[in-house]
Amino acid sequence: MGTWLQEPLTWTNFAIFLAWGVVFLFIVLGFVTYAIYFERKVIGWMQLRIGPNRVGPLGLFQTLADIFKLLIKEDTIPRKADRWLFILAPVITYVPSFAVLVVIPYTDSLYFTDLNVGLLYYGALSCISTIGIILAGWASNNKYSLLGGMRSAAQMISYEIPLVISVVGVILLNGSLSLRTIVNGQGDYFWQWNFLPQIIGFVVFIIAAVSELNRTPFDLPEAESELVAGYHVEYSGFRFAFFMLAEYVYVFAIASLTTVLFLGGWHAPFPFLTFIPGIIWFILKFMFCVFFLFWLRATMPRIRVDQLMSFGWKVLLPLSLINVFVTAIYVELFIK
Amino acid sequence: MFDFSFQLTGEYVAFFILAVCIIAGAVLMISFNKVIHMVVSLAFAFIGLAGMYVLLNAEFLAFVQVLIYAGAISILMIFGIMMTKHDQVDEDVRRPWHEGIVAVGCLALFGILFYAIRSTTFPTANWTPPKDNTLEIGKLLYTEHVIPFELMSVLLTVAFIGAIVLAKREAD
Repeated sequence: MGTWLQEPLTWTNFAIFLAWGVVFLFIVLGFVTYAIYFERKVIGWMQLRIGPNRVGPLGLFQTLADIFKLLIKEDTIPRKADRWLFILAPVITYVPSFAVLVVIPYTDSLYFTDLNVGLLYYGALSCISTIGIILAGWASNNKYSLLGGMRSAAQMISYEIPLVISVVGVILLNGSLSLRTIVNGQGDYFWQWNFLPQIIGFVVFIIAAVSELNRTPFDLPEAESELVAGYHVEYSGFRFAFFMLAEYVYVFAIASLTTVLFLGGWHAPFPFLTFIPGIIWFILKFMFCVFFLFWLRATMPRIRVDQLMSFGWKVLLPLSLINVFVTAIYVELFIK
Repeated sequence: MFDFSFQLTGEYVAFFILAVCIIAGAVLMISFNKVIHMVVSLAFAFIGLAGMYVLLNAEFLAFVQVLIYAGAISILMIFGIMMTKHDQVDEDVRRPWHEGIVAVGCLALFGILFYAIRSTTFPTANWTPPKDNTLEIGKLLYTEHVIPFELMSVLLTVAFIGAIVLAKREAD
């Protein structure tokens, strides 16, 4: 990948880039399809149910059937809604979610771009999705969706701050914002990966990331019992599908980011295991992160609104600041 | 002065697309009637501006622009609009001679800018951007410009604490 990126932009190269983009889009769509199936199955087993098992062998085609249902559904736009914003909001939400995947390095040679501000790029673009969500809540002209949109925006902004500050420790240790350099800076043994030296940052990052994804136990924006469904109450058909898609693409992005920042990316846990290719290790760690998110969802109850905000500002933010402080002292004393 | 010859490279194409984004965002911002539509078009113009920074090899500035302006400030404005009377629509006030005067003023401004830009000779030094300019920004910020940086952080902390104090007093 790296050598192509240096070449001039001719029509052939453009076609190659486009083809890679399309291939990657289909990989992500495939991931989303089976992540939903897997989520339903795993949570089903954890709650002593069976989960989807009717459509296809072992229910493997269940999500495909669901997607097909969403695509052929009638597309309704409420009469009192702000028509253009209503149409635009799913697009604003989805586009950044796919665009953030550009900076993630999958193996040493398989990556789409090596921006020297990779981490900042991720943070900046995921902020734009919040605008899409809040606009969806507003444009529907419905009080439940407006409340859902407001909650979601407030939550995403409050947790964006500890999320970004918790990775400052990793940046300090590696001296770079480029995700590829960060992976290369992590050692060959698993205790040299960032999750042990940066244990406080890691825990804060995981909690803030789950909240950023609006997933249980932080799924207040879509609290079914209070808000019907949150910011997408009025959406149906493929517009609704776009919101769900954006949510699961962010699951993909956060799981990859956790792997890259804290779990050593494509490195094997011990040097004698390096005969297994890096992509396998990446996928294994990535799948563990995704499984962890589902596991949390099956285990935890939803937390209360007032607890959510005070937890973010009074616990996570000071913890992440302490982490930055301690890491800075460590770097100054031992590494410099 | 009116010699506009240039080579059609990828950079030029990107520049013109981004310029169209910025201008379209700005024009729509002024011509929309609903406040929330204005904020969305403003965010669009901000993103175009960030693209311009990328073209100028200033990636750090570009993504800070997206994070702060397109993200945070737009969301803040949307929040502000929702808290206030958001159904209000600008009334169209017709003042014919105003438009004429404004048009003349705009043309004059354009003329002056065009003349100034076209008659300036820009220095064409062979400058190569540093390999990791984010690193360079960080180094400069903490060595040469450390005092303005610290002053800014004190100012922001004061503003932050002030906001908390004011909000607390209102709550009591």
